[in-house]
Amino acid sequence: MSDTSLLVLDGLLVISLVTLAWTALAGSDARRSVILFMAFGLVLAAAWVRLLAPDVALAEAAIGAGLAGALLLAAVREQSRQPLPARIVSKRSHNKPGVNIALQWAVSVLCAVLAGTLAWALAHALNSAPQNALPRAVSANLEASGVSNPVTAVLLNFRAYDTLLELAVLLTAVLGIFALGPARPGYQSAGPVFDGLARWLVPVLILTAGYLLWVGAHAPGGAFQAGATLAAASVVLRLAGRHQIGLPQGPALRVVMAAGVGMFVLVGLGLLVAGRPFLGYPPPWAGGLILMIESAATLAIAATLVLAFLGGQPRPLAVRVARGRIAATPIPTGKPVSPEGIRSTEPHAAEACHRIQETQKRC
Amino acid sequence: MTELLIGLVATPLTGALVTMLLPRFATSVAIAAGVLTTVAAGTLLYGVGTRGALGYDIGGWTAGLGIALRADGLSALLLMMNALVMLAASVYASAYFSKTAERARFWPLWLLLWTALNALLLSGDLFNLYVTLELLGLSAVALASLGNKTAAVQAALRYLLVGLLGSMLFLAGVSLIYAGYGTLDMASLAHVAQAGPIVWPALALMTVGLLLKTALFPLHFWLPPAHASAPAPVSAVLSALVVKASFYLVLRLWLDVFAEAVTPAAASLLGVLGAGAVLWGSWRALRAERLKLLAAYSTVAQLGYLFLFFPLLQALPPGSARDLAVGGLIILALTHGFAKAGLFLAIGIIQQRSGHDTIRELDGTAQRLPATTFAIALGGVALIGLPPSGTFLGKWHLLVAAFTTGQWWWVVVAVIGSLLAAAYIFRVLGHAFGHRAYPNQPVAIAREEWPALLLGVTAAVLMGLAGAPLWRLLEGGA
Repeated sequence: MSDTSLLVLDGLLVISLVTLAWTALAGSDARRSVILFMAFGLVLAAAWVRLLAPDVALAEAAIGAGLAGALLLAAVREQSRQPLPARIVSKRSHNKPGVNIALQWAVSVLCAVLAGTLAWALAHALNSAPQNALPRAVSANLEASGVSNPVTAVLLNFRAYDTLLELAVLLTAVLGIFALGPARPGYQSAGPVFDGLARWLVPVLILTAGYLLWVGAHAPGGAFQAGATLAAASVVLRLAGRHQIGLPQGPALRVVMAAGVGMFVLVGLGLLVAGRPFLGYPPPWAGGLILMIESAATLAIAATLVLAFLGGQPRPLAVRVARGRIAATPIPTGKPVSPEGIRSTEPHAAEACHRIQETQKRC
Repeated sequence: MTELLIGLVATPLTGALVTMLLPRFATSVAIAAGVLTTVAAGTLLYGVGTRGALGYDIGGWTAGLGIALRADGLSALLLMMNALVMLAASVYASAYFSKTAERARFWPLWLLLWTALNALLLSGDLFNLYVTLELLGLSAVALASLGNKTAAVQAALRYLLVGLLGSMLFLAGVSLIYAGYGTLDMASLAHVAQAGPIVWPALALMTVGLLLKTALFPLHFWLPPAHASAPAPVSAVLSALVVKASFYLVLRLWLDVFAEAVTPAAASLLGVLGAGAVLWGSWRALRAERLKLLAAYSTVAQLGYLFLFFPLLQALPPGSARDLAVGGLIILALTHGFAKAGLFLAIGIIQQRSGHDTIRELDGTAQRLPATTFAIALGGVALIGLPPSGTFLGKWHLLVAAFTTGQWWWVVVAVIGSLLAAAYIFRVLGHAFGHRAYPNQPVAIAREEWPALLLGVTAAVLMGLAGAPLWRLLEGGA
C-alpha cells in the first residue's frame, strides 16, 4: 500500500476508535454499550497491527474484545435476570440530582486533567533521546532464550517471574469468583443453525489454540492468546446450551486451575535444586521448558476464563452411561434461560420459584 | 543466602497450590508453609543485619533485562512483621473457620495474599511491583468477601474498584517512566531519574494510586466498610499489613528512587492530608458504635501519623537526625501492625462469643474473657502511644523532628490525635469492665486467645525495646 492510503487507513482507525469509545460510554443501554465495546476492541486490535505490535493485537482481539465482551454480556444478562435489591435501588434514587451532576462534572474534570498531564508528559518522553538499551539487550540475548520471538522471550524467559505472578493473579481471580457462590444456570439448547455452527466452530477453535501455542516460539502467539481461544470454544459450547463444555470435574478441575502456576513453580524450584538460578533455564533446554510451561499455562488460562464466564463454581454433573454414550445433565438448581431471553421480561419471583420446584420434581 | 529472597515468595505460593489441591489437609499445610516462611524471614533479617542489603537476579539475567529482588533493612523488617502477624493470624484462623468448605476457600487465598505481600516488599522492578499490587489487591478483595453477607460483598466490590483504579494510576506512572528512561529497575532509576516533566507527573500518578490503596484521608472512604465486614483474621491483616504494603511503596519512591524530584510543597501536602487523617479518623473512631468500625477508623488515623513524617524528612538534612526520624517512622508502622492485628483478633473473639461487637453492650466482657480484654488493652496502649510501646518511641522522634525543623504545628496534631485515641480506647475498656455480673465462665480456646495476646505484647512492650537494634539495621541496610 502507498503511504497516502496508509495515512487514510490510520485516520479512519483513529476516528472510529474515538467514535466507538464515545458511543459506548454515552449510551444508556448496557447491552448496546457492551457490543460497541467489543467493536472498539477489534478496531483497537487493528490499530495495534498498524503499530507493528501483532502480539498485542492478537491478545487484544482474543481477550479484550472477545472474552471480556462475553463476560460483560453475561453480567448484563445476569443483571436483567435479577433486578437489584430494592434497598440498593432506593438508596440510589435518594441521591439528590444536584449532587449527581456535581459528581459527574468532578469526574469529567479529573479525567481531563489526567489526560492533559499524560499527554504533556508523554510528549516530553517521546521528544527526549530514544531509549533503546532494553530492546538491544533483548536481541543480544535472544539466542540464549530458547525461542526466536522476542515477545515470548521476554514473557517466558527474561521476565518470566512477572508471568508467574500474573498467572497467580488469574488463579486468585477464580478463587475469588468461587467464594461468591455457584455458577449461573446454563442456557437453553440452541436451535439447529447455531448448533450446526458450534459443531464446526469448536474443533476449529481448539485447533487454532494449539497452533497459537506452538507458533508462539517464533512468531506472534503464545499461552495467553491460545488460552483465550481455547476458552472461546467452551463459551460457544455453553451458549449452545451444552452442559459438558470441556471443563473437568472435581479434583481434576483444581489441578487444571493450578497447572500454570504449578508448572512454573516446579520448573523454577527444580532448576534451583539443580544449582541454577530460579527460572534460569539452561540454554539448550530453554525451548522445551518454555513450551512445557506454556502448555500448562494455556490450560490454566482457558479454565480461568471459562470459569469467569460461568460466574462461579460449576455445579456437579450427574453422569450416566447408557449404551456406550455418556450423557450428562447438571443437577438443576435454576431455570435455564435462552440467549435470546436477555431482554424478555422476567416473571415474578414467586413464579420463578414455582418453576424451579417443577423442574426439580421432573428430575 | 540470597536464595532466601525467592524462597520467601515461592514458599507461600507453593503452599497456596497444595492447600488448593488437598483441601482436607489445608490447615496443616498452611500452618507448615507459614512456619517455613517465618523462619525464612527471620533468617533474612539476620542476614541483612550482618551482611547489609541482599539482591537476587531471577533467571540469572541482569537487572533491567530481567527482574531483580532486593532486600534492605526496611524491607527485611517489614517482611518479618508480615511473617509474625500472618503466622499469628493463621493460628487464630485455624480455630475461627470451623467448616471444611470455608477452610478450603480461605487457605489458598490467604497464602496467595502472603505471597503478594512478600513479593511486593522484595521486588526491585516497577512493572513487577504493579503485578504484585494486583495480586495483593485481588486476594485481599476475595478474602474480604468471604464474610458472605451482602454488606461484606458490597464493601468488597467497592474495595475492588478502588484497588483497580489505584493500580491503573500506578501503571500509567510506570509506563511514563519507561517511556522516558527505558528501564524499570528501581536501583538504576535512582541514579538517572531527575526532577522534570517526566518524573513529576509519573510520581504524582503513582502516588495517587498508592494513596488510594493506603486509604490516606480523604481517599479512605472505602476502608471502614471493607475492614469492618471481613472475617476477623482477614480484617486483622487488611488493616495491619495490606495498607502498609502500599505505604511502603510510597516511602520507597519518595525517599529512595525519586528523592531528587520531591519538593517541599509536595511533602507538606502529604503532611496536611496525614493531619486530616489523624483528626478525622480518631474522631470517627470515638463516635463508632461497633468495635470493628472503631478499629477500622483507628487504622485511618494511625496511617495519618506516618504521613506526618514526610514534611519533616524533607526539611531535615541527611545525617543522624534524619536517620533517627526515619527509624521513628518505621517503628511506628511496625508497632501499628502488631497492635492493630492483635486488636482485630481480640474483637473477633468477642464477636464470636457474644454474637455482636456493639461497644455499648460490652458490659462484663472483662469477667467472661479476661485474656481477650487484656489483649485489647495492650493493643490500646500501643495505639495511644504510652511507654514502653513502640508507638511512644515513634511519636517521640516525630516530636523531636518537628521541633528541630521548627514545624511545631504537627505536634499539635499528634497531641490531639493521641488524646482522642486515649478517649476511644478507654471508652471500650470502660464498657468492658462494666458492672454487670456474668457467673458463667465461657470456654476460651488457647489457639484463639494466644495470638492476640502475643501480638499485643509485641506491640506494647517488645517494640519499645527493639529500638536500638532496629536503627542499627536500618543504617546498615540503607
